[in-house]
Amino acid sequence: MENSQPAPLALDPDHFNVDFTAESDLEALPPEEPGLAPKEWMQKNLFSSVGSTILTIIFSIFALWALRGLFGFMFSGERRWDAVATNARLIAVERYPLDQFNRIWFSLGSLLAMAGLSMAFFRASGYFTLKRIAMWLMNLGVLGLLGVILTPGAKTEVPPVVEGELPTFIQDSFGEAIGGRIVWILVSLVTLGIGLALWYGLGEDRRRTMRIASRWVIAAGFGLAVLSLWVVPYGRYFLENGVATSEPGLVAASTRIPWTIMWATFVGALLLGLALRDRIPARPPKMILGLLWLLAPFILNWIVLRDPDFDYDHVFSTDIPMALAFMLVGGALLYWLSNAGIGEKGKIVSIILLAFALFNWVAGFFGIYPMLQKARLSFLFLGLFALIAGNFSRDVRTRMNYVYAWMGSMAIFHWLVTAVNSPSTLDITSDTYLGGMTLTIFVAWLTLLVSFPLGVLFALARTSDMPIFRLLSTTYIEAVRGVPLITILFFFSVIIPLFLPEGMELAEVAAVVVGYGLFSAAYLAENVRGGLQSIRRGQFEAADALGLTSGQRTSFIVLPQALRVSIPPLVGQSIATFKETSLLAIIGLNDLLRVANNTIPSQTDFVGSKKEGLLVVSAIYFGVSFAMSKYSQRLEKRLGLGTR
Amino acid sequence: MSTIGAAGVELGRPDMIVSDGVDKWYGDFQALKGVSATIAEREVVVVLGPSGSGKSTWIRCINRLEVHQGGSISVDGIELTNDTRNIDKIRSEVGMVFQQFNLFPHLTVMDNITLAPRWVRKQPKADAENRAMELLERVGIPEQAAKFPGQLSGGQQQRVAIARSLAMEPRVMLFDEPTSALDPEMISEVLDVMKDLARGGMTMMVVTHEMGFAREVADRIVFMESGEIVEVGTPEHFFTNPTEDRTKLFLSQIL
Repeated sequence: MENSQPAPLALDPDHFNVDFTAESDLEALPPEEPGLAPKEWMQKNLFSSVGSTILTIIFSIFALWALRGLFGFMFSGERRWDAVATNARLIAVERYPLDQFNRIWFSLGSLLAMAGLSMAFFRASGYFTLKRIAMWLMNLGVLGLLGVILTPGAKTEVPPVVEGELPTFIQDSFGEAIGGRIVWILVSLVTLGIGLALWYGLGEDRRRTMRIASRWVIAAGFGLAVLSLWVVPYGRYFLENGVATSEPGLVAASTRIPWTIMWATFVGALLLGLALRDRIPARPPKMILGLLWLLAPFILNWIVLRDPDFDYDHVFSTDIPMALAFMLVGGALLYWLSNAGIGEKGKIVSIILLAFALFNWVAGFFGIYPMLQKARLSFLFLGLFALIAGNFSRDVRTRMNYVYAWMGSMAIFHWLVTAVNSPSTLDITSDTYLGGMTLTIFVAWLTLLVSFPLGVLFALARTSDMPIFRLLSTTYIEAVRGVPLITILFFFSVIIPLFLPEGMELAEVAAVVVGYGLFSAAYLAENVRGGLQSIRRGQFEAADALGLTSGQRTSFIVLPQALRVSIPPLVGQSIATFKETSLLAIIGLNDLLRVANNTIPSQTDFVGSKKEGLLVVSAIYFGVSFAMSKYSQRLEKRLGLGTR
Repeated sequence: MSTIGAAGVELGRPDMIVSDGVDKWYGDFQALKGVSATIAEREVVVVLGPSGSGKSTWIRCINRLEVHQGGSISVDGIELTNDTRNIDKIRSEVGMVFQQFNLFPHLTVMDNITLAPRWVRKQPKADAENRAMELLERVGIPEQAAKFPGQLSGGQQQRVAIARSLAMEPRVMLFDEPTSALDPEMISEVLDVMKDLARGGMTMMVVTHEMGFAREVADRIVFMESGEIVEVGTPEHFFTNPTEDRTKLFLSQIL
C-alpha cells in the first residue's frame, strides 16, 4: 500500500550505495477494487456455504476461547507485572555501572541520531494511509472491548473457616468484573470511536489518498512511550547495603529526562536530515552514514561503553609508530602498485604480501614466531588492498583516494585494536560489561557484520572455478551446518581460550561473537549461493565480452544481482541470528533471556515470577524480528524483486 | 569444405580475423569441423545457415566465450590461447552483441555503457559519460540515459547493447543474431544502427536471419551447415547464382 511503484535499484559501481529514490514516485496510486460492504464481505468470505459457515463458527469460538485465555493470563491478579517494571533497567543493560550511565545514553543518542538522519537521507520511509490507521484504531477498540468482556473476574481468596482446611476462592461475577473495568471500556470506546470517525468522516477517496509518512508515526509512537514515563510510575529494583529493595516509580523518575532528550535527538536528526537532503548533494551523507553504521557497533561497544584505559607510554612508543608505519609505508606501496604500467609485477607483489601475512598468522598461532596480532592483521589487510590496487590506476586523484582509504582504515583499525587490548576502566567484576538488551543487540549486530562478508566469500569460493577453494568452502559449510550452534558456542567460549598462545586473550563475548559469526556465515553462504546460481549465463558472457576481469565481473555484475535476489533468505538468516543470541543464556552470559529467566525470579521480592518476564522478553524478540521482516518486505518491493 | 581465400590480399587491407581449421566438440558432438576463414579490416561478413549449423558457436569462439579445441584463431595478429592476457587483449578489441541483449538489469543505461570504459580502460568518469552520451545519440536514444534496461523496449535495449560495446572502441564487432529476440516492428531500428556502423568502416561479423540486411550490407556472405563452411561469396553471387546444392536448398527454404 505504501509503495505502489517499485523503483529499481541504482547501484553505482564506485560506492555500491543503494539509492532509494522511490519516495517521489509515489504519487500515482493504482485504482483500488471497490470495497465490499461489510454484509457482502461476510457473505462472500465467511458464510458462502454450509461448510464454510460451520468452519467460521467453530474457529470463531476457538479464537474467542484463546483470547479469553490470554487476557485471563495477562490480567490475573497473580501476575506480578511490577517484576518487569521494577527491573526495566536490568532488562535493558543488566548491571552496567550507574555512575557511567552517560555512556549508555551517549550510545543510544548516537544511534537514534544516525537512525533519524538515515531515514531522511535514504528516504527509507513509507506511508500509512488514513484508511489503514482508521482500521488499526477500530481493531484496537474492538480488541479492547473483547478483553473487557472475555477476561474472567478476579478471584478473591477466602481464608478457611476451620484451620487446616484449604482456602476457598470467590470469583467476581460478570457484572462485578465489568463494573471494575469502566476505564478500559471508555478507552476502548474512544479508540473505536476515533477509528470510526476517521473511516466515515473522510469518505472513500480521502481515506485512501490522505496519508502520514511512517517516520512521523514512528516519532509519535516513540514520543508517546517517552511521555508515559512522565505519567506512569514504573518501578525500580536496587541493592542497598546488600539488602535488596524494590521501590516503584524511580525508573520513570530517573530516566524520563534522558529519554526525553533521546526523543528530541531522534526527531531533531530527522528534521535536520529532511531540511538538508534536498539542499546538499545526496551521495556524501549517504556514504558517511553507511560507514557510521558499519563502525558504530565497534566504536560504541569497545570505546564508548567499555572506556579503555590506554597505557599512553605504550601508545606513544609502539602503537602510534606502528600505525603510522603501516599507513605511510603501506600507502606508498599501494600508490606504487596502482600505477597503470605495473601489470604482472603488481600481482606478484600482492601475492607475496598475502603469503607473508598467512605465514605470520599460522606461525603466530603456534607461537613459533611471535608478532603483534595487530601487525599480523595489518599485513593481511595490506595484501588484500594490494590485490585490487590495479583497479584504481585511472588517474592520480583516484590513486590518492585509494591510498587515503587505506590510511583511514588503518587508523581506525589500530585505534580499535589498541582500545580492545587496553583494560577497561569500568568497575565491573565479570569481563562482560554488557548485559540484557545491550548484550543481545551488540552480539547480534557484530555477528551480522562479521558473518555477511564471510558468508559472501564462502559463497563465492564455493562457486569458484578453483577446485581448492571449492573444496575448502564446501567442507567448511557442511561441517558447520552439521554441528549444533550451542556446541560451537561452548567450544568457542570454553575450549578456544585453552588453545590460544600465551599472552593472547579473547574476551568471552568476543569469542562468542566469532563463534556466532562463523556459524551464521555458513548459512548465509548457502543463501548467497542460491542467488549466485540464479544469475543468467548471459550476464557472465556480457561482462566477459566487455573485457571485465573476473573480480570486476563478480563485484559489479554478479554479486549486486545475486544479493538482491537473496534478500528474503538473508533477512530470514539475520532474524534467526538475532533470536539465536538467546543461547547466550545457556553459556552463562546475562543476556535478555537470562535476565528474565534467572535473574528476576531469584530476587527476593519476585521469587518465581518467571512468566511475566518471559512474556515481555518474547514480545521484545518478536518486535525486533517483526520490524526486520517488515523492512525486508519494503526493501524487496523497492528493489523491484521479481520484476526484471 | 571451402575456405575464404586470402581476402586481405584481394581487398588490399590487412587481415583482422584469421580462423584456421577451427574444431569444437560438445562431448561427442562436433559443432565445428575445421572452419577456416579470413576476414579483412573494415569488412562486413554475414554468416548464414540453418539453426544448429555452428554459426553462433564459431562467432563465440572468436572472443573466447567458447573454447575451440583444434585449429587456431587470431584477431589483429594476437592468437587466442589459454594465456589470459591474450584473451583480455582480444576481448577489449572485440565488441559483442547478443541475441538476448544481456544488459545489466541493476545498472542504468548510462552505467551499463560507462562501466567497462571506466574499469577496463580506466577512463575518468566525466570522459566516459561524455562518450556514452555521444554513443547514445548515435544509436538514437540519448533521452534514455538515466533509465534502467527493464524500462526500455527490446529494440532500445539492443541499441543500448550496441552502444555499450562501442564504448570500448573495439576494432571488431560481433553480432550474434541481434534481431532474433525482437518484435518485428523493432528489427529495423536495430538494423539501421548496424548499417550505419558498417558504413563507418567497422569490421563486422554478423550472424543473422535477416536476408535483406545481408544482401544490402555484407561484403561477403559465409554459408555454414553442420559445422562446416559450405559456400562463401558476395551477396550477388550468393543470392542469385549459388554453386552448392546445400546453399540452393537453404535459400529455397527461406526465400
